[in-house]
Amino acid sequence: MQKIDPAEYQKRLDRLTEILAGIAAHADEVALCRCPYKNRLDQCTAQFGCRNKRQPQAPGSLPICASDDKLDYRKAWETG
Amino acid sequence: MAELNDITNEFIRQEIAEFIERPNERERIINLFARARAKMQAIAAALIDGDNDLVNQLTKESLDEGIEALEVMDDGLIAGMGIVGIKFRQNLIFVPEVLACARAMKAGMAHIEPILSAAGIKPIGKVVMGTVKGDLHDIGKNLCIMMLRGSGFEVIDLGVDTSADKFMQAVEENQVHLMGMSALLTTTMPNMGKTIEAFIDADLRDQVKIMVGGAPVTQEFADEMGADGYGKDAMACVALAKRLMGVESR
Repeated sequence: MQKIDPAEYQKRLDRLTEILAGIAAHADEVALCRCPYKNRLDQCTAQFGCRNKRQPQAPGSLPICASDDKLDYRKAWETG
Repeated sequence: MAELNDITNEFIRQEIAEFIERPNERERIINLFARARAKMQAIAAALIDGDNDLVNQLTKESLDEGIEALEVMDDGLIAGMGIVGIKFRQNLIFVPEVLACARAMKAGMAHIEPILSAAGIKPIGKVVMGTVKGDLHDIGKNLCIMMLRGSGFEVIDLGVDTSADKFMQAVEENQVHLMGMSALLTTTMPNMGKTIEAFIDADLRDQVKIMVGGAPVTQEFADEMGADGYGKDAMACVALAKRLMGVESR
């Protein structure tokens, strides 16, 4: 089994935490105008109902998100 | 100084050429990958692509071949995650893609964990995380999990729509002392309190610190429910988890 220096490992964790902290902060910013469940292809990845979901273009693919990113998308989430 | 063509992996070359705009970042990333082994470049490429099966396979192969775990982290996993962070910052990818990359990172780290364990390096703590009963909104929880894992916590993810019984079972079975619940809906928020009550009724409340979070949740609500802490976002969740585990926050 390999050996690993705890201090060196901690340096890697610190670097990774720095990257992830940047990601988390940007995620909060983006979520103000773009639904976080909407992927780069404008498909919906949510497991719950949403009135912005449209039929997928190809069978078996994810539904399309029809939100225009201008209104508060959270009002379209179906909560019942 | 290395050049783009010094990088052997075509996917990585394309990623840098197309997406890394800032000169200082470009130079640093080119230098990093130009000196990295082809296999490390392949791990980074698979991670950027969110391909957890391939990251899993390549990481295992690399360690079996005797490549140092720290090198796999430096030149493969963390290097790949660095590019993911830059693409996300530039709005070229979004949260679902980032979470796929984080899952790929976890698949790679799974092979490094036994090496850490053998070296006596333990996780900061073990945390059970779940979205409360009736709630299917999991992005916030998933971002918290990504941050917790990246900070050195072991996380047991119970997913969405988690009943009090499921939380209690996970805490007992895994000997966990920290648990996080999230809710996005005002209609499901009370289920956090019901879950805490279930822990009290089962005489388990003293065994576990409970943190809560989610868009409608406030510190006041957390206090009323009898939670041990409230985190307003993923960063706060990590700081809170460390505080509750008695670990100094960096």
